[in-house]
Amino acid sequence: MLTRRCFVKLGGALFVSLRLPAAEGETSLDPAQLASWLEIRSDNTILARTGRTETGTGMSAFYAQMIAEELCVRPESITLLMGDTDRTPDGGYSAGFLTGAENVRKVAAYTYQALLALAAAQLGVPAEELVVNDATVSGGGKNIRYGELVQGQHLDLKIPITGKPVSMDPTAANGAAGLDGFVVAGNPPMKTMGQYKVIGTSYPIPGVPAKVTGRTQWSCDVTLPGMLHARMVRPATLGSTLISAGSLDRKRFPTAEVIKKGNLVAVVSPNEWEAVSAARSVDAGTKWTEWAGLPGSQSLSSTLRKYDWGSPAGSRGNAADVTAALASASRTLSTSYEQPYVRHAPIGPFVAVADVRADGAVTVWTHSSHSQGLRARIANMLGTPAEKVVVRWLEHAGQYGRTTFGGDGAESDAVILSQMTGKPVRVQWTLQEDLAWSTVSPAWVSDMKAATDANGLVSAVHSRFYSPNNFDARLLGAMLAGMPGGTTKPGSWVATEWPYDKIQNRLEEAYAMPNLGAASVSGGLRGNIMRTPGQRQQNFALEGLMNEAAAAAEADPIQFRIEHTTDQRLIGILNATAKAAGWEPRASPHPNARKSGIGAVTGRGVSIIARSNAYWVGIAEVSVIPATGALQVTRFTIGLECGKIINPRQLDRCMKSGLVMGLSEALKEEVTFDQGHVTSTDWNSYKILTMAEMPDIQVVQISRDDKGFGTGGEAANAVAPPAVAAAFFDATGVHARRIPLTPEYLTKLLKA
Amino acid sequence: MLTLSVNGTKHVLPVAPDTPLLYVLRNELKLTGPRFGCGVAQCGACAVLVDGKEVRSCIAPASSAVGKRVTTIEGLPAVWAAEKGLSEAKILHPVQQAWIDEQVPQCGYCQSGMMIAAVQLLAKIPDPSVAQIKDAFTNTPPSPHLCRCGTYAAIIDAVQRAAKAMRD
Repeated sequence: MLTRRCFVKLGGALFVSLRLPAAEGETSLDPAQLASWLEIRSDNTILARTGRTETGTGMSAFYAQMIAEELCVRPESITLLMGDTDRTPDGGYSAGFLTGAENVRKVAAYTYQALLALAAAQLGVPAEELVVNDATVSGGGKNIRYGELVQGQHLDLKIPITGKPVSMDPTAANGAAGLDGFVVAGNPPMKTMGQYKVIGTSYPIPGVPAKVTGRTQWSCDVTLPGMLHARMVRPATLGSTLISAGSLDRKRFPTAEVIKKGNLVAVVSPNEWEAVSAARSVDAGTKWTEWAGLPGSQSLSSTLRKYDWGSPAGSRGNAADVTAALASASRTLSTSYEQPYVRHAPIGPFVAVADVRADGAVTVWTHSSHSQGLRARIANMLGTPAEKVVVRWLEHAGQYGRTTFGGDGAESDAVILSQMTGKPVRVQWTLQEDLAWSTVSPAWVSDMKAATDANGLVSAVHSRFYSPNNFDARLLGAMLAGMPGGTTKPGSWVATEWPYDKIQNRLEEAYAMPNLGAASVSGGLRGNIMRTPGQRQQNFALEGLMNEAAAAAEADPIQFRIEHTTDQRLIGILNATAKAAGWEPRASPHPNARKSGIGAVTGRGVSIIARSNAYWVGIAEVSVIPATGALQVTRFTIGLECGKIINPRQLDRCMKSGLVMGLSEALKEEVTFDQGHVTSTDWNSYKILTMAEMPDIQVVQISRDDKGFGTGGEAANAVAPPAVAAAFFDATGVHARRIPLTPEYLTKLLKA
Repeated sequence: MLTLSVNGTKHVLPVAPDTPLLYVLRNELKLTGPRFGCGVAQCGACAVLVDGKEVRSCIAPASSAVGKRVTTIEGLPAVWAAEKGLSEAKILHPVQQAWIDEQVPQCGYCQSGMMIAAVQLLAKIPDPSVAQIKDAFTNTPPSPHLCRCGTYAAIIDAVQRAAKAMRD
């Protein structure tokens, strides 16, 4: 529905905004206050706004490509404004391309129809006879630019939507509702994939030149007049409460001040280095209660094993069929897999700036991947309407899922301190603080049982996945200060997509427990999702089982997988990746496999994952020195078929870099803790993959026009751990059922 | 008062001498290329060049840079212009251009330090092999340059692209 708001002397624009459904009159957002989604301006530039954000995977390029494609313009003419709650219309969390792309695509498609109608009227040519190329509409021998269509007037186009803004919801495991934000309704005509000109090309990420030259304003760069720098003084353990805060030496730290509220203690100063030094001094004199509510990471698996899990929080499949199949099977195979706590661990620790004004207006500068969710949580903490809170988003170090559902790092700290001091406050966490107090990706234990037939083929699978809470997005600062931090309930879900349709008897069950140390003031080890959440952990078990079943059947592990599926997309990418890797069919282990000696043995292994309309294959090649347990991944071939590829180069880099994270998880990463503290709190104790440890990586991509869009970047990490574990088995003949595959663990396995 | 020469300009600054160089660059000079990562010289996000050598500015006292030339990524175009005898820094340093051409940054937080490490490496080895690049970014003290997004492959490509551009 296109309307003219007014005529203007200078410029002109078409504003494309939301039309709220009548039934949702109770929404707290005033449509008149909502920012437009798109602005087509008289100078032929386009401003696009989205609540979603760039998380480093290239969303700012892909969204521009989507919009450009449907509007028939060049992506370079589009400027994206992302994540600011007062300047973007739709909300929604930034969990990958598929969560937000359909919105911008439909918005652009609706707008294209409106522009065609405008042009038809102006040119006196029926819309269906018009052709558009690079923002120029042609028909009947005449041309007109989009800019000319809007010249001299302000036009409004209202787009129908469904959905609600984020609100707090104690019935949800993550404590919030409306996480998807507003979703565009209806089905405007859209380009077919065969017509694409922009999608499928390697459009560069718009923000890269600024990042490379130092012009980007990161969230850590925000400075405000009168701003105080803060450093937090954290409790001695994850569960300690404050006895007394240390005092400040006024001579050494003349402008610093200790601020405390409940168990939240901080030091602020206008001078950042004074804040750092004074906080260290105060920390040394601050007294906390003792607390020992964690099992210690050495006892992690036994603790999870002892827990009474009750009934599954999520399940899929047919219990009766699986029970019958397992009972009557000629052979069964039972295995268990363990994965430790790992951390998102970005290179830049959490940082935030908040400005809480006397009139109750709150502004927060953040790099959260869910601005609207954070806004709702901050408003809930303060007991203030969401309208009072503005969240401004800026780029910063990757989040990898840790702020999903609107969870925070330094944001609630900054808001509380700004409210208490009456000044803008910037809170910079230290690395040690971040690696101890940020949300964490929980440990998983999985029990797998398979029935196999006379040929060794799998006829039934029973999977049981156990993990602590994956959905805790409560605000840490609020909890420590004794303010409302939100709610969480342990929940779990069957995350894997079943790729082996020939195995018809299957039962998958996911069990949940609270955070370890949940009863403490801080919530203990607060679990939140991390890259390829749940899928990575469950797939490690499923693919581990398939590799062990293939070995038991003395079958080639790629051929074995092909024999368990009719899905031609999976078979296609398996074959293409195997070919690129030079895979010669044979069973594992390698005939020369050896579990002792100082000479290196080599092996290769495979794994797959199916996720969100995409099929991934990973083939690892490793070299192992049995005497020392040293394992080097020498080469890795990673293949992906994700429907239509939007941007081959950005996909290539996402596949390679995601794989690096997966190898890091496979080989090195483990959050360690004793009864009270996280003990892996720097890069020497929480180790991640270095450049020298990266193998040669070969990428295989298959793009197709008949299957829509699938996930591009995220799941790359998930193929690494099972493929590397399989390659270790191929080299040594010993199954590794736990990650990380450290020399200590592998040595123990090989000597057993 | 400390006098520091940063990116070719002298600054007289009212800072305590033990203040780490990083805080002076960011807060006093508003040079936000170098970034706070670990604060203990374990990651490389804060790396700058001091007299052409990589220094972790998060632990280096500002006083240690007195009388020396400090270069951040903001100053790399001028470094390249000087090397080529150009009067003005009109183009990017080849390392920066290669970082754009290879689309290296994902989140990009560590990349300022990565480019500083690349400039130092290419000053020493103009045509580094993949093994030499991996070695330089991993084994040069005080710590490996870490990238959590995992952009190492793109960094290797970019270093080799920059090396070629600087030789041509």
